[in-house]
Amino acid sequence: MTPAPTLALLVLILAALAVAQALRRARLWRRGRPAHVDWLAGLKALPRRYLHDVHDVVARDPYAARMHAIAAGGLITASVLGVFGLVPALGHSPVYGALLALAFAAALAGGVMVGRRRSPVKPARLSGGRFRLVPPALTAYAGGGLLVGIAILAGPGFAALGWLGVALAAAGAAVLVYLLGDGPMRHVFAGALHLAAHPRSDRFEGGRETALHPVDLAAPQKLGAETPADFAWNRLLGFDACIQCGRCEVACPAFAAGQPLNPKKLIQDLVGSLAPGGAPYAGSPYPNARPVAGVGGPELPIVGLGAMVHPDTIWSCTTCRACVEECPMMIEHVDAIVDLRRFQTMELGAVPEKAVQPLLDLRQAEEPGGRALAARGDFAAGLALPKIQDRPAEARPAEVLLWLGEGAYDLRYGRTLRALVRLLGAAQVDFAVLGAEERDCGDLARRLGDEATFQDLARANIATLSRHRFGRILTADPHALHVIRNEYPAFGGHLEVVHHSSFLDELVAGGRLAVGDLGAALPGAVTYHDPCYLGRYNGETEAPRRLLDRLGLERREMARSGKRSMCCGGGGGAPVADIEGERRIPDLRMGQASETGAAIVAVACPTCTAMLEGVTGARPEVRDIAELLLAAVEAAPPAAAPARQRQPEPVA
Amino acid sequence: MKVLVLLSAGRHPASGRAGPVPVELAAVRLGASLGGADLAGLHAGPDADAVADALGHGLARLHLQPLAPDADPLGALEAAVRRLAPDLVLAGNRGQGGEDAGLLPYALAARLGRPIVADAVALASDGDGLVAEQALGRGARRRVELALPAVVTVHPSAPPPLPFAFGRRRSGTIERLPAFAADAPAPAAPFEERPYRKRPKLIAKAAAGASAADRLKAATEAASGGGRVLVAPDPAEAAAEILAHLRAIGVLKR
Ligand code: SF4
Ligand code: SF4
Repeated sequence: MTPAPTLALLVLILAALAVAQALRRARLWRRGRPAHVDWLAGLKALPRRYLHDVHDVVARDPYAARMHAIAAGGLITASVLGVFGLVPALGHSPVYGALLALAFAAALAGGVMVGRRRSPVKPARLSGGRFRLVPPALTAYAGGGLLVGIAILAGPGFAALGWLGVALAAAGAAVLVYLLGDGPMRHVFAGALHLAAHPRSDRFEGGRETALHPVDLAAPQKLGAETPADFAWNRLLGFDACIQCGRCEVACPAFAAGQPLNPKKLIQDLVGSLAPGGAPYAGSPYPNARPVAGVGGPELPIVGLGAMVHPDTIWSCTTCRACVEECPMMIEHVDAIVDLRRFQTMELGAVPEKAVQPLLDLRQAEEPGGRALAARGDFAAGLALPKIQDRPAEARPAEVLLWLGEGAYDLRYGRTLRALVRLLGAAQVDFAVLGAEERDCGDLARRLGDEATFQDLARANIATLSRHRFGRILTADPHALHVIRNEYPAFGGHLEVVHHSSFLDELVAGGRLAVGDLGAALPGAVTYHDPCYLGRYNGETEAPRRLLDRLGLERREMARSGKRSMCCGGGGGAPVADIEGERRIPDLRMGQASETGAAIVAVACPTCTAMLEGVTGARPEVRDIAELLLAAVEAAPPAAAPARQRQPEPVA
Repeated sequence: MKVLVLLSAGRHPASGRAGPVPVELAAVRLGASLGGADLAGLHAGPDADAVADALGHGLARLHLQPLAPDADPLGALEAAVRRLAPDLVLAGNRGQGGEDAGLLPYALAARLGRPIVADAVALASDGDGLVAEQALGRGARRRVELALPAVVTVHPSAPPPLPFAFGRRRSGTIERLPAFAADAPAPAAPFEERPYRKRPKLIAKAAAGASAADRLKAATEAASGGGRVLVAPDPAEAAAEILAHLRAIGVLKR
């Protein structure tokens, strides 16, 4: 026996133990509910998903990307090479020795890089604890392999060096195996399997699958998730894939505001509920954490004072998906949070106090404020707001159906909608509204876990919409846009929806609206705040910017923008849940807008408008892109605005 | 203790949609607050569609007394209550979207020969009886003890209904009681229906047009009630006092 075959055996033992650890863990995942997984397609897509989707996210942190490529690439290449040490002829081949040494040297460099990340001080987003064992284990294993390679290269006289290397590698390997089962290295197999068996297979390769999955309300099982076993097994697998990189924590607006939510800790609490007594958590806690008993198990409740997670934690979430966007392991935090909320809401009736009345009004009045649906059009007083029911039966279908949304009841947002209606008039768009037939789209109910009320509203709206004839639905509300475009199809509503930013951009591009230069009228730059439900949920980040650029305004970007933008704090029912923190999310976001030095924050969502307008003190002005465009259209020289001259602004 | 909550088919003031009446759902919560009470609902009508959501607000069982849509529910409710024999009947202090006169609980209590306590905001069981906290005008509260069986109506300032939980509505049961031959159609309502609108707040007449300070004074002075409190008075003295008061406010002319 020489060092080379011994190292090969060591690698094989390491691989076998890894498989054993994975199988042990898989027994836990199988406690979850069944899920349909297309294994063949998933495994086939695995390399692409890894190289595109995972890599795109990892590459946002270039150091981490290099570190991972070198450490993982070196480790796998070196280990596979190491197995070839079983071939007797290679055991003394200097070429083999050199290759082996090279590969292990790369792994060693990776191991050192892993260590450097946490020294001299560990960044707050990274975890300590067992994560501190990874660099020594990696360097021992890789350093040992390197010695074996050098010994082979140096020739028969250096066997002692080889044996030393084998011993070192064995020590490192032992720790790695330990960390595979219950520690940071679990992400290797859990992450790979999660990519293959991902519950949202359409989110990869440029796809976007952001709609919440419907609950079967007639199924006999409990509604939503109470215990870990109530999650589908591949969701449990996903939680296990978390590498505790803390990228979600950095992105989370609720965490930044000091509310008791940290998506990273939440995922670890879910792991800890499934497998109590595992590796202790050593990352940042929930800010201002509320005390809980910390008792969990596969069949025990997750949320509750006597359980693992305080209810305030799940109600702090704005469902902004920033965590999902940043997660290199493709974990779906929002799905987990909404599933937990569904159980609280539908089985326990345990919704935050201030959410009770809006939910009740949604059931009884189909509107969260309990207001008359016919009053939705009141904002337009004085403007023509044609109703689709008044169109003669023989008329052409309306070009667009204007979906007004909840913002129509809000005085401030009424100004935006008035601007939009006037723009439609100026561009001679043949539009109509549903009038008293427009119910709430159901977004609030669904995010708060009241799937039953959401489904009632969705079905009623779909039935109404199918009765009328129109081309597209136009809305200024990204929440309504998302719900109707992406979530109604599961209930039989297949409707084309366009956001007012895209639609107005089309109108200007098509020459239906002539715009003047706003630069003189509005000195100072403008910065655009991406609504989560438009940018991250629907991938629409370009049209609003294009439109702003047409107005002759100087546009500046905030540090977080586009799909990586920060939430205004208004989504997911967070304002009605109203969980106390140290700061307010809209104040944080407005601070980021102020940093750009812009005089105006351009918005494109009623919720963002309300949240950002609520910020006190000296700050940029909040203007919807429709308001800015209307100002530009009014600033256009008369000769350049033929459309407007032919039809003066309609006045009812 | 057996508690029966009367549920009427309400209508939402803005949408006009059928649904349970909030104050009756608050009654369900008060019933549930009695702890260990055997709690059920009772509705008389052609179906339970409008009130079934009450099952999601903390009621596990609902009895439906089938009844023609236009029939007077009083007789049917009386028959059902006699059949179910609850210790306590809870009702809202008035319905929502019907006649909303608030008379039915009194009429039912009279038919059943049970005492009635109006406008409860809190309940606690006390041995064989019940302690109820009553809402009086301007935020005043009065604690009364009553013997069971009894009828208690609930005031809108009672704690709000328990949140709606679809899962509980789904698992709640509706039991049909035997049909009841209606004794009479409901008397035709001598009312006119108009769309709901919020009433403007009335400013105390005495101070209308006066300064804000005067209006505040008028409002707070009225709040202090007036009248005298007699503790354990002699019956004749008490009667004389009541008569004097009724004459003072003009109810009695002589
Ligand atoms: S959930 Fe994802 S982003 Fe958050 S710590 Fe885990 S791996 Fe990182
Ligand atoms: S969705 Fe947004 S608020 Fe919710 S946990 Fe993720 S980052 Fe935080």
